[in-house]
Amino acid sequence: MPRSDLVSPRRPVAARVLRPAMWLPLVVMLVVLGAAWTWGAHRFPYLLPPLRAVGATLTGSPAYYLKNAGVTLEEAAGGLAIGFVAAFAVGVLISELPVARRAVLPVAVVLNVTPIVAIAPTLVVAFGFGPAPKIVITALICFFPVLINTATGLRSVSPQILQVYQSIAASRLEVLAYLRVPSALPFIFAALRIAFPLSVTGAVVAELTAAGSAAGLGTVISNASSMNQLAVVYAAILVLAVMGTLLLLLVTIIERRALRWHDSSAQS
Amino acid sequence: MDGAVRAAAIEVSGVRKAYGERPSMTVALDDVSLAVAAGSFVSLIGPSGCGKSTLLRLAAGLEAPDHGTVRVHDVAPREAAAAKLIGLVPQTPALLPWLSVLKNVTLPQTVNRGAGKRRARFGDLGNGGPPADPMDLLRRVGLGDVAHKLPAELSGGMAQRAAIVRALGLRPDVLLMDEPFSALDELTRESLQDQLLDLWGELKTTVLFVTHSIAEAVRMSDVVVVMGSPGRVVDSVPIGLPRPRDPGLLGDPRFHGYENQVRNSLRRAWSATDAA
Repeated sequence: MPRSDLVSPRRPVAARVLRPAMWLPLVVMLVVLGAAWTWGAHRFPYLLPPLRAVGATLTGSPAYYLKNAGVTLEEAAGGLAIGFVAAFAVGVLISELPVARRAVLPVAVVLNVTPIVAIAPTLVVAFGFGPAPKIVITALICFFPVLINTATGLRSVSPQILQVYQSIAASRLEVLAYLRVPSALPFIFAALRIAFPLSVTGAVVAELTAAGSAAGLGTVISNASSMNQLAVVYAAILVLAVMGTLLLLLVTIIERRALRWHDSSAQS
Repeated sequence: MDGAVRAAAIEVSGVRKAYGERPSMTVALDDVSLAVAAGSFVSLIGPSGCGKSTLLRLAAGLEAPDHGTVRVHDVAPREAAAAKLIGLVPQTPALLPWLSVLKNVTLPQTVNRGAGKRRARFGDLGNGGPPADPMDLLRRVGLGDVAHKLPAELSGGMAQRAAIVRALGLRPDVLLMDEPFSALDELTRESLQDQLLDLWGELKTTVLFVTHSIAEAVRMSDVVVVMGSPGRVVDSVPIGLPRPRDPGLLGDPRFHGYENQVRNSLRRAWSATDAA
């Protein structure tokens, strides 16, 4: 019998979210955190701004935060796009050519363990204070997880499937397009779930490093903290947190649509 | 020349195949010779590790022998594969989880489009005709209703049927099957045997079938080839039972006679290796 009960759509998301068992723990957690914050802000006014002040600066000048968030998001998206395309291309190359694998992988691993923040200042010297060094740093940070997962995913096709297609003399390109790339998709999405939020980290780190940057939330944080405007610092951090969450949500939605067939996307 | 070589669809002569390096080398096949007549159903039976599956992989062109030759319709297996003369059914269904059953079955027709021209050079091999309509084949084996479902929604028996249709959809001249029913329960297994015999009777494909099951080998085959370790052919038992072989035949005394003959052969092969 078909196992349709396992694959059929579960209860609608809205119905699940409305049950108190689903939302109550989170609400309690937020109330507790808010209370602790308020107490902390009262006790250590030089460390934490009052939540009301954070809210006031956000509602007072939303255009300012949106504009700077837009700048950071552009850097993050640009870096992610370049890093992803490069990592996918290199991933295909090293999974098809063992020679390339032996040449590229050690370099990639060393690149990965090197703190990119340490490279950032030299990149600023090389590319100036515009968006270029931020995009390069973000691309470098996103490169490795995508590369490793692409290479692993491309080699995850079962030997028996490969044998069936070898026995009808499928070309390498056909095997890549019809078997390897689709098999790699779950691995690639797992990498993107890391790389999407990581791209924001990359952009902010780059802004913090490039002292003379004109815009971006990292620049806002760096300028505001030098002027001791704690509320602005935390408002920018809050916007970054929301941005990272939205990016994660976006990649999750795309993954659910693209990987309907895959086990891990059928589970909650 | 064509007429003379048409007798054997698969010809294995003096084949040796070993894995690994000298000190810990495993001999999978040792001086194996075998001829499978065109249009016949031949089973390979033997203990685990006797090289049955290795022999199948050599015939599919997935590996090359260390010594000796393997020919499929008088060409190297790789050339036969390039002309899509070979259909392979592995031990697991090996369906692509992201494609529907129907798309799984039709993808092999999309792949290697140049095969048609190469195949034409072989002339009529006795089972000619255009590739079978996949939807029609799916209906024949009772998968018409699930053609648009994903493989994860199928039972093991249904998935293995889809794998057989995938191989037969190309109208291969040689069908290589590696213990295709070994993971299925007894009744599912018997019903798949029925369906395979039914399709085989119609498509006239040469079948080389690896199995552990004596009853299965006797029921399906024209010839049962008994193998022993390490990688030798020890006996070849022609099965003189009439066709079509419906399930009622399983209780026939002649059927048991052939079963015993194959069992004794296997036992002799087994005790010979035990003594060695």
